[in-house]
Amino acid sequence: MATRHGSHYEFPNLPLNGVSPGTNLLLTGPALGGTRELLLRLLLGEDGVLIVTADTGARKVLTAFEGVGGRIDRNRVRVVNCTGESGDGLGDIVASVGSPGDLTGIGIEYSGQYEQVYARGYDTVRTGIYTLTPLLVYSEDVRPVFRFINTVTSRIRTADGLGVCAIDPSAHDEQIVNSIAQPFDARIDVRERDGDLALRLQGLPDQPTEWTAVPPLS
Amino acid sequence: MLRLKRVGVSAELATVVCVDGNDETRTATIDALEAAGFAVRACSSVSEIEPALDDSVGCVVTAAQLPDGDGFDVVERVREHTPDCACVFFTEASPSELPRGGRDQIVEYVPRSVPNAHDRLGDVVSAAAAEVTQAAYPLPEDESERLAALAEYDVEALSALDAFERLTALITSHFDIDVAFVGLVDAHEERFVACEGANWRTLAREDTICTHTILTDEVMVVEDIREDPRFAGVDRLDELEIRSYAGARLTDGDGRALGAVCCIHGEPRSYTRAERDDLRRFADEVEEQLGLRRRLKDGGD
Repeated sequence: MATRHGSHYEFPNLPLNGVSPGTNLLLTGPALGGTRELLLRLLLGEDGVLIVTADTGARKVLTAFEGVGGRIDRNRVRVVNCTGESGDGLGDIVASVGSPGDLTGIGIEYSGQYEQVYARGYDTVRTGIYTLTPLLVYSEDVRPVFRFINTVTSRIRTADGLGVCAIDPSAHDEQIVNSIAQPFDARIDVRERDGDLALRLQGLPDQPTEWTAVPPLS
Repeated sequence: MLRLKRVGVSAELATVVCVDGNDETRTATIDALEAAGFAVRACSSVSEIEPALDDSVGCVVTAAQLPDGDGFDVVERVREHTPDCACVFFTEASPSELPRGGRDQIVEYVPRSVPNAHDRLGDVVSAAAAEVTQAAYPLPEDESERLAALAEYDVEALSALDAFERLTALITSHFDIDVAFVGLVDAHEERFVACEGANWRTLAREDTICTHTILTDEVMVVEDIREDPRFAGVDRLDELEIRSYAGARLTDGDGRALGAVCCIHGEPRSYTRAERDDLRRFADEVEEQLGLRRRLKDGGD
């Protein structure tokens, strides 16, 4: 069943206004913890969901998605697991790629899963990539990573999807992060202090540009 | 700094190359792409791809298996010719059944098994042909307008100008460096309209540092290429003995980036604030010359 929503992707229970279809967001924050939680919360809705996971196994990421209120429906939710960890027992909901360095394999599995979800009537799809950091670490040359990001963000943009890609800025040179940010429409910085999450957004109008508390999960 | 882009070859003008050894499926794919408004060139093997490539080609659609190789052999030949050309696998094969490509041979993939597969292919090809979707470098947000601005200049005539030759000679002696150049960054490559100290004509855009320089209005300095993760893996820079770089962006009167004026040295090198200011002034001089030539060209039309 198609799940057409209005003209925006909405983010219930987050201090963000809706964004237009085709928007790509770069989420920058420390690895694990609040950054992963926020990425998964940005994927909540009735749209198709594709998660590319590069440093957390598929089973764990699906559990975490359920933990933030996500509903696992294999017609709607798919994972591309490139951690090298086994996704045995999860069936076709998970496609596995041997390494975060195999950008060709990740791209093909991502496109394949996208088409499977689309074919089931979900013509609006939220994509989460958690995180870009292993993709960069495993690539001796940054150019294939640019190619991968340009390819994925372009598909999201032209298919009226939503893209959310996380990166840990402390793991990379500032120039790399700034270059990586280029194809994204906005950058969301994530901060976690004493267990409290906050975010701020640069690049889109009518969004919080100052640090704004993220309500905890109820 | 961050927003949507629509760049590259326009969808109306782009040609698509379709590579498939099966007459029936190739014909069906070509019919669907032509119905979507594309001019399509047919190839039935890997060996036929190179003669089919020229600057009008915005996208290549390939089968996974071909009589003399596989789809990744096609990708290799396409990217040798046009490094940022979009490539799309269109095949019955599932991802796990596809041949193994290199880790950096990133492509789009549309399975023939999905409903309305030709429509889905048309969507993906339309996007690929309308944008530079598979570039291995960051793109300015105004890339389309930037390329239109660059097209207003007669690059051949600029390459013949003594003024730029004199200026790049002056830059090499002023900074005591090996090479100085004026480069214009077009859709796929950088063209050196003047180059002192080396005989460079063009460089694929993904191999250039200037494609990063045009993103910033500050003088960009890379003191040691081998220590900068953006460029350390670019073998071509090593082949050209480029070890350090400083570049100042060139813009037109509307602020559209055209290229850069650059200093190259074969050893690691830093640049003081005063040197960066000097390089900026040299770039200002080139911008004035470019503006003058543009006005002369417009006046002659």
